[in-house]
Amino acid sequence: MRLPDSVTGSFLVVLGTAAAYGGWLLPPVPGQPVGPNIFPLVIGIGLALCGLAIVFGIGHTFEEAEELIPLEDGQAAAAPPPQGKVYGLRALLPPALLLFYVVAADRLGFIITAAIMVYVTSTALGAKWKLALPLAALAPFAIHLIFGKLLRVPLPAGLLPTPW
Amino acid sequence: MMKTLIEAFALISTWEVIIAMFAASVYGLVIGSLPGLSATMATALLVPVTFYLSPIAAIATIVAASSMAIFSGDIPGALLRIPGTPASAAYADEAYAMTRKGQAELALGAGVWFSAVGGIAGVLSLMILAPPLAEIALSFSTFEYFWLALLGLMCATLVARSSPVKAIAGMFLGLLVSCIGIENPGGVPRFTFGLTDLFGGIEPIPALVGVFAVAQVMRAMLTPEPPPLPRRKFGSIMAGQWKLTKKYHWQMTRGNIVGIIIGVLPGAGADMAAWVSYAMSKRFSKEPEKFGTGHVEGLVEAGASNNASIASGWVPSLLFGIPGDTIAAIAIGVLYMKGLNPGPTLFTEKASSMYAIYLMFIIANILMIPLGIAMIRVAAYILLAPRSAIMPIIMLCCAVGSFAIGNNMFGVVTVAAFGVIGYVMEANGYPVAAMVLGIVMGTMVEQAFVTSLIKSDGSILPFFERPVAAILAAMAIGALLWPVMVWGWRKLKPVRTGVAATGR
Repeated sequence: MRLPDSVTGSFLVVLGTAAAYGGWLLPPVPGQPVGPNIFPLVIGIGLALCGLAIVFGIGHTFEEAEELIPLEDGQAAAAPPPQGKVYGLRALLPPALLLFYVVAADRLGFIITAAIMVYVTSTALGAKWKLALPLAALAPFAIHLIFGKLLRVPLPAGLLPTPW
Repeated sequence: MMKTLIEAFALISTWEVIIAMFAASVYGLVIGSLPGLSATMATALLVPVTFYLSPIAAIATIVAASSMAIFSGDIPGALLRIPGTPASAAYADEAYAMTRKGQAELALGAGVWFSAVGGIAGVLSLMILAPPLAEIALSFSTFEYFWLALLGLMCATLVARSSPVKAIAGMFLGLLVSCIGIENPGGVPRFTFGLTDLFGGIEPIPALVGVFAVAQVMRAMLTPEPPPLPRRKFGSIMAGQWKLTKKYHWQMTRGNIVGIIIGVLPGAGADMAAWVSYAMSKRFSKEPEKFGTGHVEGLVEAGASNNASIASGWVPSLLFGIPGDTIAAIAIGVLYMKGLNPGPTLFTEKASSMYAIYLMFIIANILMIPLGIAMIRVAAYILLAPRSAIMPIIMLCCAVGSFAIGNNMFGVVTVAAFGVIGYVMEANGYPVAAMVLGIVMGTMVEQAFVTSLIKSDGSILPFFERPVAAILAAMAIGALLWPVMVWGWRKLKPVRTGVAATGR
C-alpha cells in the first residue's frame, strides 16, 4: 500500500479544499461573526497546504528509511512472502470481516458470526484446521462469557443462543 | 493532606480495585510480551471493560496494564530480538546481544528493576509537578487554552520519527475527523452527509482501537510469523541488579528525567523516551564502543526512561485534557466517561481521587517486580502461542468492544474504517499518533478557538495580548514554522545537507 507522495499529497489537497468549502457553506451563529464554519475552514486550508508541500517533496528528507532487522544465525530465515497483487489485498481481510460482523451478527447471532470470523482470520494467518477449528468453536463462547455474561453487553443471540 | 491520603487508601482498598488491578497487570504483561501487540493496543482494548467498573477501578486497570505492558515488551526483545512493544525497540538489539553472551537474566532483570524504578520516578514527578501547574492553570483563559492545545498538537508533530509535514497533515486529518457531528458551536450537523449515525460524531475510542489494533492485524496478514522462543532455564533474575543500580545510578537518574520530560510533552510517549535515552546513554558513556555488543548501560537508561514517561504522560492529561501520549489519550476518554473531567479543578475538588491515582501507580510499579519475574519464567510458554491463534481473538475483542461502547453497530464500522485509515497512513509515512491526538483534542481546540474569537469580536489581536498567551503563541508558531525553516536552510546550504545526512 506504499503510494507515491504525489498521490497522497494530491488527495490531501482535494480533501482539504472540500473541507474548507464545506465549512464555508455552513451558517454562522446568528449575531456572531464566527460559528461552526470557521474551524473546518482553517483546517481545510491547512490540510490543503500540507498536501501541496508533500506533493513538492518538502520535508521528505526527514523521513527515515524503514529499518530492517537483519537475521542472525540460529534464527530460521523466513521465506520471502509471495508477492503479487492479490497478496496485498489480504490486508483488507480484517476490516472486511468487521463489516461482515455488522451485517450478519443480528441475523446469525454472535456465536456463529464470531466463529466464522475467528476461523477465517486464523486460516489466513496460516493456521491448520487442527488449530483453527477448535479455536473457532471455543473463542466465541469465551468472549461471550466475558462480555455478554460478565459485562452484560447485549450481544445478539440470533440462530444459536448461548446456554446461559 | 493526611485526610485525603486516608480517603485515597479507602478508595483503592476495595476488592473490586484489587482484583481489577491484578487482572489488568497479568493482561498487560501477556499482551506486552506478544510481539506486534503494543501497550497502546492493550489499553485501547481494555476500555470497553472499564465501562462496567467503578471510576477508580477503571483507572486502576489502565494504570496497571500500561505500566506492565511497557516492561514486558522487553521480554521478546531480549530473547528473540523482536520488541514486544515499540517502546522496547530502541534496545532490543542490545538486550538480544546480552542473551547471546549468556546474560539473559541480567538483561531481563535490568528490564524489570529499572522499569519499576522509572515508573516510581514518573509518579513522583506527577505528584510534584501537577499541583503547582494546576495553580497556574486556574488563571488560564480560552486564549491560553487555545495556544496550549495547539502547542500540544505541534509537539506531537515535532517528535514524530517521520516528515514533520506529514505529521502536521496527520494532525489536521484528526482535527477534521473531530469536526464531524453536531457537537459544534452552532449545533448544526457538520460533515454528516445526512447520515444520522454521524450526528454524534466519531467517538475517539473506536477510532483508536481501529488505528492501533485492527491496523496491526492487517499488517500481520502481510508479514511473516516471528520464530518461536527457544525454551531455556533462567538463573536468579534479580541477582546483580543492586550492583548495577549503584554503578549506573547517574545513567538511571538521567533516564528517569528524560523519560519524565518526554512523557510530559504531548504526543511523545514511551517509545520516543526509549530512543532518546538510549542514544543519550551511548553519547555520554565512558565506554561507547561496548554499545551493541551486549552492554547493559543503555538498557538501564532506556528502561528507566520509558516507564518514567508513562506516569508523567498523565500530567498534561489530568491538568488540561491534553494527552501526554497515546495511552494517556485513551485514559482521558475514560476519565471523561467516569465523571473525572480533566482540568485544574480536579486537584481541589477530587483530591482523594488524584491521590488514589498516585497510589495505584506506585502499587503497580511495585507489583511489577514479582509479577515481572514470574512472567519472565513463563514467557517461553506464552510465546509458544502462534499468531494465528492470537490475532483472531484480538479481532473478536475489537468487534465486541467497539460495539459495547455505544451498544450500536456503527462503532464496529468506525473501527473497520479507522483500521484501513491507520494502515494506509502508517504504510505511507504519516504518523498515526498525530492523527489520534487531533481526534482526541479537536473539540477542545475548536471550543477554545471559537470562544476566543467571539470574545475578541473576530479580531486576532487579543490572542497575543495576555503575556502567557503570547509566549505560548510564539512557541506554537515557531513549532509550526520549524520544518519550513529547516527545509529552507538545507536548500540554501546544500553542502551542509550531506553532512547532516551522514550525521544522523
